[in-house]
Amino acid sequence: MVENKHQWKAWIYLSPAIVLLLVFTVWPIINTLIMAFSENYSSLAGLGGQTFKFGLGNFQHVIGYKGFITCLKNTMLLCVLTVPLSTILALLISVCLNAIKPFQKLLQTIYFLPYVTNSIAIGMVFAAMFNIVGNISSQEQIITTAGIINNFLGLFGVEPINWINAGSSYWANITVMVVYIVWNALPFKILILLGGLQSVNKQYYDAAKIDSTPKWRVLTKITVPLLSPMIAYVVITGFIGGFKEYSSIVGIFDVGMGPAGDHGRLNTMVGYIYDSIKNQQGRASAAALILFGIIFVVTMINLYVSKKKTHY
Amino acid sequence: MKKTLVALLLVATLLLSCFSMAGCGKKAQENFELNTGATYDGSEVELTFYHTMGANLREVLEKYITKFNELYPNIKITHSQVGSYDDVRDKIATELTVNNQPNIAYCYPDHVALYNLAGAVITLDEIISSKAEVKRADGTTEILGFTDEQIDDFIDAYYQEGKEFEGGKMHTLPLSKSTEVLYYNKTFFDQHGLKVPTTWDEMEEVCEKILKIDPKCIPLGYDSEANWFITMTEQLKTPYTSATGDRFLFNTKENQAFVKRFAEWHKKGYVTTEEIYGSYTSGLFTNLKAGEARSYMCIGSSAGASYQRPTKNANGKYPFDVGITTIPQADASNKKVISQGPSLCIFNGTEQEVLASWLFVKYLTTNVEFQAEFSMTSGYVPVIESVADHPVYSQFIKNANGGDNITALSAKTCLEQKDAYFVSPAFNGSSEARDQVGQLLQYCMVQYKTAKDVDAMIDKAFKDAVAECEYMS
Amino acid sequence: MSKNSSLQVMQERDMHKVVVGQKIMRVVSQFFLYLFLFAIAFIILFPFYWMVISSVKTLDEYLLTIPTLFPREFDFANYAEAFNTANLGRLFGNTVFVGVVSTILSLVITVLSAFAFARLEFKGKNAMFAALLATMMIPGELFTITNYKTVNDFGWLDLETYGFTVLIVPFLVSVFYIYLLKQNFMQIPNELYLAAKVDGTSDLKYLWKVMIPLALPTLISITILKMMGSWNTYMWPNLVADSQNYWLVTNGLRKFSVTVDNRPDTPVQMAAVAIVSAPLFMVFLFLRKYIMKGVSRSGIKG
Repeated sequence: MVENKHQWKAWIYLSPAIVLLLVFTVWPIINTLIMAFSENYSSLAGLGGQTFKFGLGNFQHVIGYKGFITCLKNTMLLCVLTVPLSTILALLISVCLNAIKPFQKLLQTIYFLPYVTNSIAIGMVFAAMFNIVGNISSQEQIITTAGIINNFLGLFGVEPINWINAGSSYWANITVMVVYIVWNALPFKILILLGGLQSVNKQYYDAAKIDSTPKWRVLTKITVPLLSPMIAYVVITGFIGGFKEYSSIVGIFDVGMGPAGDHGRLNTMVGYIYDSIKNQQGRASAAALILFGIIFVVTMINLYVSKKKTHY
Repeated sequence: MKKTLVALLLVATLLLSCFSMAGCGKKAQENFELNTGATYDGSEVELTFYHTMGANLREVLEKYITKFNELYPNIKITHSQVGSYDDVRDKIATELTVNNQPNIAYCYPDHVALYNLAGAVITLDEIISSKAEVKRADGTTEILGFTDEQIDDFIDAYYQEGKEFEGGKMHTLPLSKSTEVLYYNKTFFDQHGLKVPTTWDEMEEVCEKILKIDPKCIPLGYDSEANWFITMTEQLKTPYTSATGDRFLFNTKENQAFVKRFAEWHKKGYVTTEEIYGSYTSGLFTNLKAGEARSYMCIGSSAGASYQRPTKNANGKYPFDVGITTIPQADASNKKVISQGPSLCIFNGTEQEVLASWLFVKYLTTNVEFQAEFSMTSGYVPVIESVADHPVYSQFIKNANGGDNITALSAKTCLEQKDAYFVSPAFNGSSEARDQVGQLLQYCMVQYKTAKDVDAMIDKAFKDAVAECEYMS
Repeated sequence: MSKNSSLQVMQERDMHKVVVGQKIMRVVSQFFLYLFLFAIAFIILFPFYWMVISSVKTLDEYLLTIPTLFPREFDFANYAEAFNTANLGRLFGNTVFVGVVSTILSLVITVLSAFAFARLEFKGKNAMFAALLATMMIPGELFTITNYKTVNDFGWLDLETYGFTVLIVPFLVSVFYIYLLKQNFMQIPNELYLAAKVDGTSDLKYLWKVMIPLALPTLISITILKMMGSWNTYMWPNLVADSQNYWLVTNGLRKFSVTVDNRPDTPVQMAAVAIVSAPLFMVFLFLRKYIMKGVSRSGIKG
């Protein structure tokens, strides 16, 4: 039953958020729209007195750019690979962590450490671990160091793999990116899922214990449904974040967005927006709106699915 | 309820658009024009100066701000290190939108081209030629502009860089400069009786010889592919870019030929670059570990000389002596080396702000003491020739060697090649061209080994690079 | 009868086997559980370890082609340099202030909004929520120029007068957190709310007495994330805080730790990061207890 009183109450509760969002989010979005439809808009040129005519030119320009397809493909691929993988892994870790007594505190503390680790440090470690130092693309290959990962694989007799250097394959690059992005996403997801797990009512588990239900059934029939709101949360925000992937690629490949000799190979939508934002804000805005459209559709699908599957 | 929401939204939007109109209404960028006879009148002015100086350089700067204030006590200068060059550019580009930019800033030519879209950078020609008198606090006077001696004192190529813009007007003044030099392992060269290469042909020969002596080495490391490409176009007098008309002219037969040549060098193992090698080339040059690859030559920034020096042994001696010389040339009669490093530009403001900024910029660029001290601290070279006669600086250069005084040796090399400096045209998109030619050379080097048809591969790389430049600008 | 009893014995034996088998299984599964968790812990620890060892390396050692896994010599001067040159004390105070104020205000806004979405019924709720989610989908970098103009129009760029307002207010609302808390609130059975209504408890009291304690783990997670935010933000403070008096730690770190020719002096940067991370880590150790407390406080149980 909806009381009328609640109507205005709800708006009062929401008002601080709404006011701030109007000023610092909605208004910039309106501006983004204006810029996107002003052909070749550049704010500095605008200051210089140039005027811009209304039109779809920016969108045509963005879509017509051949690098744009690459950006789109990379963004989609990374998203589809990393979101499910990191979610499942985080869920598994949280459940395991919740099932142990000794070392629980220690491990939880360790899993938190990435939050106080500088992001530059993280990028450098990963780049250094996969980096082969040497002249690989010359006739007589010279390898100074093959990197920690290759050294480790070498223990099992695997030949050094060119992960991220000059002449590396696209799929080697993607593998590194997936590992890095999943690593980066884990702590946040563990924090959220573990927090959710801690608030789950223990009764359900006690009941399962009496019935001596097998563990995996407990996981799929009790834990996952009970955690479903949190899982829905990490999946939906994971996809939104995943479509905005950029800084992780810079972390490994620097602003070249690709291995030496093939810059831009791993460029993403936000990477494209960054490139244009300096003095082609019109194009950057148009690209942002295209990205928005894609994320919007995916999120709506996500919300629809989660509504059907979420258990409150 | 919905109606109320809509109404609320509308009100908020209207309110905000009023604000933004007010912002636009200011029409910040009136083009500055110097009134005839105008001069700095001693009034109180507050200036801000954005730069990228580290702690030790800031100390030098502060010392000379104090000295400057002895002459002009009413000009208060606040300086701040904004971060990297890109940070300076991005911050100013945003600040320009609300007319909140600094008065003076470190700049690269393409930054100025960007700010100039908003017409925000002062052209200096009229001020430079002004003979108006300025009174100093110590009772002496100076003329507002440059004297002829002062203009002559500038190393010409550095001074000309300020004019490399559309219209040919003076936009910037050089503060301190660096270039590329060839570092070589002097001990190794002497030991094997090798001749230090002065041309690219000699470079090819010496690389071949070195590889025979030490098959596990990469004879030459080159820091920057972009510098290499641009320098070659200057040495060969082939087209690169133009500030007017068709801008991206670098897709020519001659340019394709040298790219092919260097790509082949890479395949043969003569040369690597920082990005291709996957680590600093200076690290390769100073590496002495047995069984590991090393190089015997390295082309890199003259300001990074201290990185090209190996670590001292336990007995306090350097394991090898470093030699520094001019980079190889294509044509001995047309010596060309690239010029890099910060310049200064002045932004729109009130007349007194602009003139006060000018006086400070003039002070920094023409004061021998400052130029000498700044150069010795930074590893960059001074932009005026008279610094060479400065007693401390000349002693500094005299003591140059490939060991403890390697910075001086690098500076000495730079001073000796002062007629060889060139600068490239600056326009909106010139930095994109720079990125693209660098990537293009890198791409061809990496692909050479596996490409089925090398010429087709190179041709396509050139076409793609031009297309990318044209798209991005 | 005898047949029956032997059957019983057999059943008991089987039962015994099953119990032993279960015990073995338990030990084995615990072993793999720990192996898995420690392996993940190792992978997660590695970059942290890297940060710490990098902070005590000399610049020369740091620039080696083959990175050393353990510093050859410890250079603690990096810490001294980070502390002295970056004026860390002041920046640290600023960061704590901005972090605490933004976190508190942000929590209030988030709790109120999440409550409205989770418990109250109003027209346009779903549309409103979808719109809120939609704002997350545009890359925030595009907002910078417009927001810069806005705060300039508000006069907030004059930090002497308005203090840290410009660093705090634009980022108070996070749709991420509202969404997260809303999900958590929705797990709390509606019966509790209806019961409270019958008792005549006001919404705010109910929120304070029931919802907040139950959602404490999530609120603490939000606190940690928000606090970390003020430790990591760089772009905006660099743009709006012109005077050193208002810089945050990241500004100091990036600006001071460069070598002569403008390469980043990474060891000093790492040392500085380690210094500023330490207190944050302490805060987490303190709060962790509360994150783990979720269940025991649960008013639903029994």
